[in-house]
Amino acid sequence: MRHFPPTRRILPALIAAAALGAAVSLAVAAGKGVAQREKPAPQPPLVIPPATPPATTPPAPGPGETDETAALPTPSSAAQTLYSAARADLLQIRMLLKNGRSQSSVGSGFLVGTGNLVLTNYHVVSQMALDPDVYIGEYVDTDGKSGPVELLAVDVLHDLAVVRVDRNGSGFFQVPERPVKLVQGQYLYSLGNPLDLGFAISEGSYNGIVTRSFYEQLIFTGPINSGMSGGPSVTAAGVVAGVNVSKRLDGELVSFLVPVRYAQELLGRVAVQPHAPKNFNPLIGQQLLAHQRALIDRLLGEPLSIRTMGPYQVPVRESQQLRCWGRSNFRAEAEFTLDAVSCAMEAAIYVSDTQQTGHVSMTHQVIRSSSLHPLQFAVLASSRFRVDSLGAGRDTRLTRPACAEMFVHTATLPVRAVTCVRAYRKFAGLYNFTLLAASTDDPNANLLSRLDLAGVSYENGMRATRAFLSALGRSHARAGSR
Amino acid sequence: MGPWFVELLARNGDVLQRQCVDKLPIRIGRGYGNDVILDDDYAAPSHAIVEPDPAGHLVLRDLGSRNGIVVAGKRRQDAVLAGDTVVRIGHTSLRVRAADCPVAPELVDHTLHGWEGMLPGAAGLLLTGSIALLARWLSDAEFFEPARYAEALAGGLAAALLWGGMWGFANRLFGRHARLGRHLFVFGCGITALAGWIALGSLLAYAFSAESITHYGSHLVTVLLAGIVYFHLSTIRPRNRVRYRWICAGLAVLSSSLILAGNVQRTGRFSDELYMSVLLPPAMRMSSDHGVDEFMRDVDAMKGPLDRSRGRKPGDDQIDD
Repeated sequence: MRHFPPTRRILPALIAAAALGAAVSLAVAAGKGVAQREKPAPQPPLVIPPATPPATTPPAPGPGETDETAALPTPSSAAQTLYSAARADLLQIRMLLKNGRSQSSVGSGFLVGTGNLVLTNYHVVSQMALDPDVYIGEYVDTDGKSGPVELLAVDVLHDLAVVRVDRNGSGFFQVPERPVKLVQGQYLYSLGNPLDLGFAISEGSYNGIVTRSFYEQLIFTGPINSGMSGGPSVTAAGVVAGVNVSKRLDGELVSFLVPVRYAQELLGRVAVQPHAPKNFNPLIGQQLLAHQRALIDRLLGEPLSIRTMGPYQVPVRESQQLRCWGRSNFRAEAEFTLDAVSCAMEAAIYVSDTQQTGHVSMTHQVIRSSSLHPLQFAVLASSRFRVDSLGAGRDTRLTRPACAEMFVHTATLPVRAVTCVRAYRKFAGLYNFTLLAASTDDPNANLLSRLDLAGVSYENGMRATRAFLSALGRSHARAGSR
Repeated sequence: MGPWFVELLARNGDVLQRQCVDKLPIRIGRGYGNDVILDDDYAAPSHAIVEPDPAGHLVLRDLGSRNGIVVAGKRRQDAVLAGDTVVRIGHTSLRVRAADCPVAPELVDHTLHGWEGMLPGAAGLLLTGSIALLARWLSDAEFFEPARYAEALAGGLAAALLWGGMWGFANRLFGRHARLGRHLFVFGCGITALAGWIALGSLLAYAFSAESITHYGSHLVTVLLAGIVYFHLSTIRPRNRVRYRWICAGLAVLSSSLILAGNVQRTGRFSDELYMSVLLPPAMRMSSDHGVDEFMRDVDAMKGPLDRSRGRKPGDDQIDD
């Protein structure tokens, strides 16, 4: 018998361990490779970022990036007059980190009448509303004097907030009792502190009411930059017409204002409330719940309209708020045809820099092939049915997803259905729903549908999921299909 | 009694060099005047001597060297040499045996000597190549192009040769022969088993709506991989089969626990995936469909666990099933 010193006995085991590790990674890579070789179609994101830019000021441009040589147009006399009259009541609102008092975001605001109340955007003060232990607010006026601000009320849906400061207005900005009559093309003057560069006034024109967003907003054809959010837009006569809120990043001078009517309502609520709420989170949760009630009621108010995609019938809802876009792979060098339609809301509710909610989107894809073997087709369909993650796995604002999966038969179509739900941590009663459905009736055709509901109550999530799932169907008997 | 054999040993017990000496005493050292000359910088020119003691046993005696002689980790002035006593002189391990030293009986040879070399190697490569081509064909939804299949084939064969070559190298190091053909065959069979499991697992999960098969499919994959490693190890040293069985079982358990821990860390669930994404042709369905109501009841049942996990800290809000 030969004797093996103990250390030598371990060596083959170590090599085996290393080999097994390598094999595991190889196998995993191979498995993924098979599944991912087909480039999956880009799914619509769970939540489409709204047009609202955050209140944060982007970093200042470097030297050479700014064009200082361009001649400035002569300011209109109306703007000159307005600015000199308004400057005393114009404020910059800053969010500061409590710890160290360094500023984290800036926006604008204005003193209403002769009182000490300041109107601004919710998104300017959202950090203070959501995390009052971390952030505090501060105002700076046109003379550079600063002081503390106290948050009194928020309206998340219309993106408005009211804060109290330690000084009174001169009475220039009057929020009118009755709605302001505006005529398309009428001049409006927007005030604020763009990009933290200094107070400014910009001239533009009123161009009607946006119908694309869920809540009424005014179109202002003029420049609004981040940092001007929360500032007033006034008529030449000095009447406040709206509050600066956002602009389209993909357009030129397409900006939006919150109609002053909603500011009046919020001020009215402040007048009757005995004291400011200590914690705004439940209040924001209630507002989001109210939003989703209206949203789902409008979505399901009438039966979903049914479209025919190849052999399948799919539910869609096309409205002013929910836009649908189609695409196809007819140019791709593939053995299958793909037709897709996706409908999504163009606006969402801003809750914080990293969280938008109150959003609905739906997608349908039909893939068909007469030349692929059924097994090849099955692999293709499986890879398109796979969604690796529903948002970030480690998201501190949402719980991890819980999923239900089943083979389901709707009225005319058997489908594989998966529903995944995540709950909001801060807002009780709000959930994100995702429904994925794949038809299982045909070896050469497949319908893949997806419905995303962000920020809905459980009942409404179930209601919309059921309506969407039940409406999936097959338009004619299978025998007739190629 | 004589002749006597002085055997210089490797650390794993293999004989590196064997020298026959006809008469006692045997002088051992680095100098050329010795009977056994050690090429060892840590041995003295005249290091030790082997002599019979009055009882007739062989005794190794230190001749006053600086590093001495070491038996079982202890430095000794002299040591009685039974047939299995290993003595270390400097960096050299050696033992001395008389010609009448008993040896173990011969082992029964179970090796299939006909199944070595080209034949199993070709079979292994054939299996690997077919699996690579099959995988390529299944995932190919573009217009046919021979180059893509050639690439897949080349990739599969290269992987087999790399993997088999690694084991062949280890086999040459720790055994006598490379046995590359055998290792290629083991790899080919292993890959076939893996592919078969993926296909069968998907089929069973889809046909009978048994989602847990794909949710936890990676654990059977680790078992199969451990099996592949076991067969490679057994090819290197067939005598240690039982030990390798335990090592590979341990590795499989370890990998499975790492996968579970990784899944919990990444996604908060033990399962590998959020839901079963396998879709197969309708002819492969065995289970029946459920109504929409039944599905919505399942969705409704998730509300309680979700609301409970709301209150927990981010990071430990596993959804309880």
